[in-house]
Amino acid sequence: MSSTLKPYLTAVRHTLFAAMCVDNFSSQVIERHNKPEVEVRASKELLLTPVIISRNEKEKVLIEASVNSIRISIAIKQADEIEKILCHKFMRFMMMRAENFIILRRTAMPGYDISFLITNFHTEQMYKHKLVEFVLHFMEEIDKEISEMKLAVNARARICSEEFLKRF
Amino acid sequence: MVEKYSFGIDPIPHHAWNKDRQQIAVTPNNQEIRIYQLDKSANDWTLLDTLNKHDLRVTGIDWAPRTNRIVTCSEDRDAYVWKQGPDKKWTPTQVLLRINRAATCVKWSPDENKFAAGSGARIISVCYFEQANDWWVSKHIKKPIKSTVNSIDWHPNNVLLAAGCADFKVKIFSGFIKEIEDNFPATAWGNKGSTLGNLLAEFTNSPYIGGWIHCVSFSADGNRLCWVAHDSSISVADVSHGSPIVFKLRTDTLPFLSCVWVNGTGIVAAGHGCCPMLYAVDVNNQIRFVCKLDRSQKKEGSGLSAMRKFQSLDRQAKVENDTLLETIHQNSIRSIRTYSNVNGTATKLSTSGLDGQLVIWDLKVRHRLVRITS
Amino acid sequence: MILLEINNQIVEDTLTVKFKNALAGHKLEVTDVRIADFDGALFHISSPKNDKSKIIISICLKFYKDLQQHGSDQLLKDIYGSFITDTEDGYSVSLQVDLEKIPKNWEELVKKIGLLKRNCFAAVFNKYFDFQERGEEGHQRAVINYRNDETMYVEAKSDRVTVVFSTIFKEEDDIIIGKVFMQEFKEGRRASQTAPQVLFTHKDPPLELLNTNARIGDNIGYITFILFPRHTNRVARDNTINLIHTFRNYLHYHIKCSKVYIHSRMRAKTSEFLKVLNRARPESKNTEKKTITGRTFIRRE
Repeated sequence: MSSTLKPYLTAVRHTLFAAMCVDNFSSQVIERHNKPEVEVRASKELLLTPVIISRNEKEKVLIEASVNSIRISIAIKQADEIEKILCHKFMRFMMMRAENFIILRRTAMPGYDISFLITNFHTEQMYKHKLVEFVLHFMEEIDKEISEMKLAVNARARICSEEFLKRF
Repeated sequence: MVEKYSFGIDPIPHHAWNKDRQQIAVTPNNQEIRIYQLDKSANDWTLLDTLNKHDLRVTGIDWAPRTNRIVTCSEDRDAYVWKQGPDKKWTPTQVLLRINRAATCVKWSPDENKFAAGSGARIISVCYFEQANDWWVSKHIKKPIKSTVNSIDWHPNNVLLAAGCADFKVKIFSGFIKEIEDNFPATAWGNKGSTLGNLLAEFTNSPYIGGWIHCVSFSADGNRLCWVAHDSSISVADVSHGSPIVFKLRTDTLPFLSCVWVNGTGIVAAGHGCCPMLYAVDVNNQIRFVCKLDRSQKKEGSGLSAMRKFQSLDRQAKVENDTLLETIHQNSIRSIRTYSNVNGTATKLSTSGLDGQLVIWDLKVRHRLVRITS
Repeated sequence: MILLEINNQIVEDTLTVKFKNALAGHKLEVTDVRIADFDGALFHISSPKNDKSKIIISICLKFYKDLQQHGSDQLLKDIYGSFITDTEDGYSVSLQVDLEKIPKNWEELVKKIGLLKRNCFAAVFNKYFDFQERGEEGHQRAVINYRNDETMYVEAKSDRVTVVFSTIFKEEDDIIIGKVFMQEFKEGRRASQTAPQVLFTHKDPPLELLNTNARIGDNIGYITFILFPRHTNRVARDNTINLIHTFRNYLHYHIKCSKVYIHSRMRAKTSEFLKVLNRARPESKNTEKKTITGRTFIRRE
């Protein structure tokens, strides 16, 4: 683990633990409604100050908390064109399966690659500490996976060119 | 000594005991209220009755010990008072709270002749039974509530009512109902309480960063009011020496959701941190941390059977079973109740939480508190 | 299977079965098979006018006209000789074999027919390789529109033959993956000293094609092979043709494979993420299950 990754993930972990203290809360605005306040944004007093944790210019996490829901948006490192398309493809692939992922938001917040929406209904059904772990696991693995995929494409390209050219 | 009971994996945000602590009313986080009886020999709960009248999630339950009535409120904006018939079945009476948002909390007054319900409509409904018309009448406390009422508590004098709101404020109102009460008793919180809804005191949780108030609680003598808020703080307002003085302790745990006095000086608070903590107001009126009630150590996972091992590999892609937190409760504790009380000191408390567990804690408070408060 | 086959396996298999059946004296049957191949090629293997004893193998190449200008007819005549027959309607070249007169070396013949498409291509290369060998310069470059919107250019100089492919990347992702591949081709000469030099330009055509009507666009790439006499001499020539005429398909095939691989990795990773998310779900104890006979089965912890 590189020297900047650990403090970055630690900061995210602690912020998530604090942000994930959500509780069931019915709408103050609409009768018989109970919707994630972080999405409807109808009452200012129910929203907490958003937090951005940045590792560098490109890698950052936006954590927006509210009384009954939190939204986590992640910007993933994309060093070059190929990492960019791999990341884009991967995130689209996952978001198309958002119903399986339940906490995944179907579209990412602008400026970020992927967003999670965790509501009190999720924390009631699942262990909060494990949800935090999931987000951290995701952040760690996604960088690894994208660079591995990139290596795999490069390796394939190299072998293809060598195999082809050495036949001449 | 800790007794643990599990009601499945559904959360139990609220629970309430009957007088002799043999029966409990819980809500499994939906529109139902279930009444269980403890079967001591099997150490398990038998379902006696399911009260199914609300059509949305139940947000509050309170069981009046002497009159043996249960009041419940729900997101569907209604409250019901349940009475047990001779056949042991519970029958509901609807109470129109006259609110247009979800009810959030409900409490019987100490004399059990009225109850109050907070709501997201920025209203507290104080309800009493009108014999002549044979129905429950609800009167509103409106001004100056500016936000959802998260929690309410009655003063032991049966009149004052404390409310904790989502706009970071704690307010003390008069809950005086002139139709059923003769005169307003003298209280240290002020005397202008002879009209329902008079504001006697108001406290802001924090001048800087706010914090939704999650729970308010009066001490047994009524001179101290404790509240817990989302900025992980625990505060006490004290009027025993004249005008109210507020003390606040910022803790390093996750926010508390519930608090209760265990005697004149001790407070147990619990919430998102999953561990109930004992605090005390010391001789200098400072709030001090005393101890954690949950002293569990990291549990050794029970030995893995081969079947368990492969099941966990298949579903969760891991071998070791490290799902458990160190605490007994595995998710936020949502409510605390006094289970037993000897001479004004709670000896046992019960907590229930989002992990579907009910835990009864043996306090042994007295000797723990001696050091701090004397 | 890293390299693509230059023959058509289905054509070979179909013919082999026919020949074997005929040699074994089985009853002859009517044949009618259509086979697609790279570059829009279409094979048709059929019996003429229900004459079961004959088989006609036809190939249809949309750009055969381009190839004819470079002497493909002559080359095919040299290779297939008397097997060439009247061209079937809608096709480019037709061969006919007689099942009643199967030559002894029929296996060789099958191989030769399997290479029909490759041999159509070969003429144009042979022609320009010859120009180079003879040191003739100034011949107009050959332009073969081997696919819609994709073109191959061949040009001879006294010391080299330049082959330029223009190719279209249908998706934006393909361009980027394609670039990675082309980068490797450019550097691939390090691995093999005998390989030709490969150049790659994206969007704009290379200098050789300036002032022609070569297409310009974001999704177009140009790949230039510079073939030296060591590739174009009579000994190495066949091998060079084999490789170079499949290059475009080779490239695109591997781009697609890469995408498939990425996709399968994403699928695997996504299901792993789901499992990790599952760790957050409490497991309900004492789940009641019915056995197949209807008895209740309670799992004990």
